[in-house]
Amino acid sequence: MLMTNHKILLVDDDRDLLEMLLSIFQRAGYTNLLTASSGSEALRIWREAQPNLIVLDVMMPGMDGFSVLKEIRRTSRVPVLMLTARGEAEDRIEGLEIGADDYLAKPFLPKELLLRVGAILSRAYPKQNEMVELARSTVDMANAEVWKNGEKQTLTAKEMQLFEKLYQNAGRIVTTGILCETICGEFWQGYESTLYTHIRHLREKIEENPSKPISLITVKGLGYRLNLKEVSP
Amino acid sequence: MNTVQRFFRRYIFSTIGIMILFLTVNLVLLFTIIIVGSMSGSDDAFSVGDFSDHIVLQDGNWVADDTALSMLQDQSAWAMLLDENGDVVWQQNLPENLPRSYTSAEVASFSRWYLEDYPVKIWTRTDSYLVVVGYQPGALVKYYFSLEWPYMGVMLGGIAAVFLINLLLIVFLILRNTRKVERAMTPILQGIQNLSHGNPSHLDEQGELAEINAGLNRAADYMRKKDNTRAEWIRGVSHDIRTPLSMVLGYASELEDDRALPQEARKQAGIIRRESEKMKRLIDDLNLTTKLEYALQPVHFKDVDWVEISRQAVSEVLNSGLDSRYEIVFAETQPGRSIHLLGDEGLLRRMLDNLLRNSITHNPQGCKIVLSVGEKNGYCLCTVSDDGVGIAPEFLKELNRGDDIASTQDSDGKTEHGLGLKLVAQIVKAHQGTISFANNTPHGLESIKHEQKDFLTASTPSRGLEVKITLPIQPHFS
Repeated sequence: MLMTNHKILLVDDDRDLLEMLLSIFQRAGYTNLLTASSGSEALRIWREAQPNLIVLDVMMPGMDGFSVLKEIRRTSRVPVLMLTARGEAEDRIEGLEIGADDYLAKPFLPKELLLRVGAILSRAYPKQNEMVELARSTVDMANAEVWKNGEKQTLTAKEMQLFEKLYQNAGRIVTTGILCETICGEFWQGYESTLYTHIRHLREKIEENPSKPISLITVKGLGYRLNLKEVSP
Repeated sequence: MNTVQRFFRRYIFSTIGIMILFLTVNLVLLFTIIIVGSMSGSDDAFSVGDFSDHIVLQDGNWVADDTALSMLQDQSAWAMLLDENGDVVWQQNLPENLPRSYTSAEVASFSRWYLEDYPVKIWTRTDSYLVVVGYQPGALVKYYFSLEWPYMGVMLGGIAAVFLINLLLIVFLILRNTRKVERAMTPILQGIQNLSHGNPSHLDEQGELAEINAGLNRAADYMRKKDNTRAEWIRGVSHDIRTPLSMVLGYASELEDDRALPQEARKQAGIIRRESEKMKRLIDDLNLTTKLEYALQPVHFKDVDWVEISRQAVSEVLNSGLDSRYEIVFAETQPGRSIHLLGDEGLLRRMLDNLLRNSITHNPQGCKIVLSVGEKNGYCLCTVSDDGVGIAPEFLKELNRGDDIASTQDSDGKTEHGLGLKLVAQIVKAHQGTISFANNTPHGLESIKHEQKDFLTASTPSRGLEVKITLPIQPHFS
């Protein structure tokens, strides 16, 4: 179980849902949790406790989630994930425009919520000395180094960008387009061969046998998937 | 040419047709009357020339034979023969009151008009004698007609011109009136047509038909209001159901993952979680389909990468934890080629996601799904096919007829189709594309007629459902 002492503020006017959110985060190993059932209470707790992340419901009586976020964004860049029963694209765009880091529509799967929160936290608070264990190598995220068979190799900036993207989505397929966009920006078309070159170099550094990869897998026609080292229970 | 224009063109042609028919019938009737009239008269039966041949000079006296007398008797007529001096040299039944000698002026006068109210016919013999046959008053009508030739030409030309002008005037008036009616009626008929297609429009409430236009506007407003109310209601219900469903989904997931619980309880929690996920999709589909149906969802057209969207749709389904009973294959007909189109990225991804999940939902035994994408002649192509159970032929026909896709039943009569396919059809329509469905053997049709006949999937399964979609790369905006 993941143990984390990140302080998370959960805000929802529905007390039953708040209780469930609390339960989900506790089970996932989060120990420092705060709750608020209104916008004003959320602002008060945020000022007093300075949480590391806020899960914020949009539709609340009185001060709604958008207003709370606007108030927070006047002075703080604390990561905020908006949680709402309104699934409209316009609402999502409005939330992101105000400065939300992510947006999740109800009903949601607990796993999805935890994955998104985890991704935001790892982006906002990169771990010092975080080591990613792969089948045949270990990646030192802080120093962009790969340790394989006792030897150290350095990852280039592009290889590190690629690895971070794959690591954030570990176990999931990341499409060619998304990976190209990560290293080449919005106008990535035509740069697929550049991606393949970086993938090849990355494999040479993290895989035992780059021609038969076991950590960075090609998913035919779609993209790539990074498999982390399985930890025995 | 639309229905309304076609209607008015037909109206004009039928009116001109009626006029031509009217003229033809009148001409036929006129000639019939002339022929019948000429046949019913006795004029032909009595020829003064023939009669004259029966009057001969015998031994210095003029005599008529029995035939001549019989001819006169048949006509109740009288006759006389005038010599060159105008004297009567022979007569038969000549009334007493008529003179026995005539001057040239008198002969000239009665030859054209009447002789003392007796209508007469004359015949100049070869010997310069004049045969005069007189009928009873009222038996014949004599009419003298005389015109100078230049005037006659003008008159005949004038008659023809008047006839032609009248004809043109009638045609012009018909066209003008029809055009006026068409101008007044077209917006109304168009409005009715739009209403029937569920697109209420607003008409100008002016002119003679303002009241009808106002009525149609009221109907359109009522329809719009009703649609909005329905859409708002659905949105409200789906909103209200989201929070409770979050709890069901959340707690069911927690129970499913709780190793302290008995296996059976965890299995049941898993069922609740899966069913809740179906409900979540249903709510999302219902919300989106309602918004598309009532044009409440704006379609954000922008340049999108068709192949990348397809990759993301397949990856999303695979990343959501697909059961090992299913296999999804992604294929490009032109590998490595990027295909761009103007479309709504979110809607297109949703369309592909729905098609993939449709195959998964309706094949609980598992199946292989192939998503194939390509481009041809300015169209993005997409085929989603599976080797599952397929669908009933009658439902297939309904789907291909282009009817509104409603919630319906699967071939086994048990599994109910959700709004997935309806939503797919709506998204295709919003992108001005086409969609067609086919069953592979042994479930019915082997293949479908399609514009892009040579567009085949990379590895088409031998049976199951096949959905083909074509989307224009550059949709036309009106």
